Order: sequence, then C-alpha cells, then structure tokens
Amino acid sequence: MQFTLVVYGAPHASEGANTALRFARAVLASGHGIYRVFFYGDGVHNGSALVAPPQDEQDLLSQWQDLKIAHNLDLTLCIAAAQRRGVLNDSEASRLEKPSGNMADGFELAGLGQLAEAAAVSDRIVTFGS
Amino acid sequence: MTLHIVSQSPFSGSALKDCLSAFADGDALLLIEDAVYAAKGQTITQLKGKSVYCLEPDAVARGISIDPAIEAIDETRWVSLCTEHNPIVSWFR
Repeated sequence: MQFTLVVYGAPHASEGANTALRFARAVLASGHGIYRVFFYGDGVHNGSALVAPPQDEQDLLSQWQDLKIAHNLDLTLCIAAAQRRGVLNDSEASRLEKPSGNMADGFELAGLGQLAEAAAVSDRIVTFGS
Repeated sequence: MTLHIVSQSPFSGSALKDCLSAFADGDALLLIEDAVYAAKGQTITQLKGKSVYCLEPDAVARGISIDPAIEAIDETRWVSLCTEHNPIVSWFR
C-alpha cells in the first residue's frame, strides 16, 4: 500500500514531526511504500539546513535525510509556506534577492498540486498535526 | 470506516470532543501524543463501546497506565490499523 504523510508540525515546536518520522519508519518496516512526505505550514521548518539542536537532543533533520537516502523518499516542502517562513533553496533565494538559500539536502520545493497528486496516487493519507 | 487519530490532550482543547461528535459506527479511535491522557480516568467513560487504541510508547513516555478497556498498540499495529481503515482523519486542534 502507498502512503502519503502530511506534516504540519515544526521540529522542536510540537511532537508531530517526530511522530511522523516514527510512523514513516513503521510504514517502511511493514513493507508498504511512502509516495511522498509533504511538509505544510510550520512543518516546512523541518527542511531548514540551519537547525542546530544540542548533541544530546534528537536531530530530526538528519533522521529524515537518512530515511530519504535509505528508501529514496520524496520529501517535499510547500513552496508558499516555505517562502513565508524563510526556507528557500538557492535559486529561490537568488530570485527573491535574499542573501542565501537554507533548504536542506534531500528536500524539494513544490506547490499544493504535488499534495493533490499524492492524494490521487496514494492509498492512504495520514496527517500529523502541529 | 474512518480511523480517527487524536493527538491533543482532552484537558487542553476540544479535539477529542469534536472527534467523538463525528464518530460513526464501525469507526476506530487512536490516541497519540498528549491525547493519551484520555486513556485513563474519567475521560474513558465517553469512549465506552467504541474501538479505541492508544499508542503505548506515548503513554509510557508520560507515565500513563492505559485502561484495560483500551487496546495498547505500537507503531507497527498503527500502520496495520491504517490499512484496515479509510479515510484517516487527524484531530489536533
């Protein structure tokens, strides 16, 4: 079965992103697929390369990136939500005349159409709140 | 049949109450994150007669002992609940 996960929670602000990561691991371990993880609203902060949690705390970013590498996950940030919150890739940063991009490796920016497409293609959508 | 996932404590908002007002016969309810505070004490009376599950690691993290009327599950069982139900609705506000 194909799952799509929608993540509304920013890391360290709510538990949603951490729960989504645990659920994603369980989905993959159960032999199901993840079509897309769509980060929406404050959830786009999960895709910032600049987060620097203390060493004795969870590093959600590197865990998402490891999971992406291991399972070729599609990690998509809502572009409109990301622009408002200052999560930009290099080309967006240059287009918007900002000093630098800060989007982490492994993530992509896309519109809500990509969520609609994932909803059409996936068997299940699970939302993780803020 | 719908799987309702509630993540907000019953003591900090109306998510559980709102969920129960939309609950239909055959639906299932999963308590995660702070909603596990509904898995013991008086709040469970409103869950009687329903298929109710509680994510055990979240209850353990909060020192909550889950009422025997509620089924304690792990993430793997959560995934299988998702395959058994459609749609899956999250209540977090």
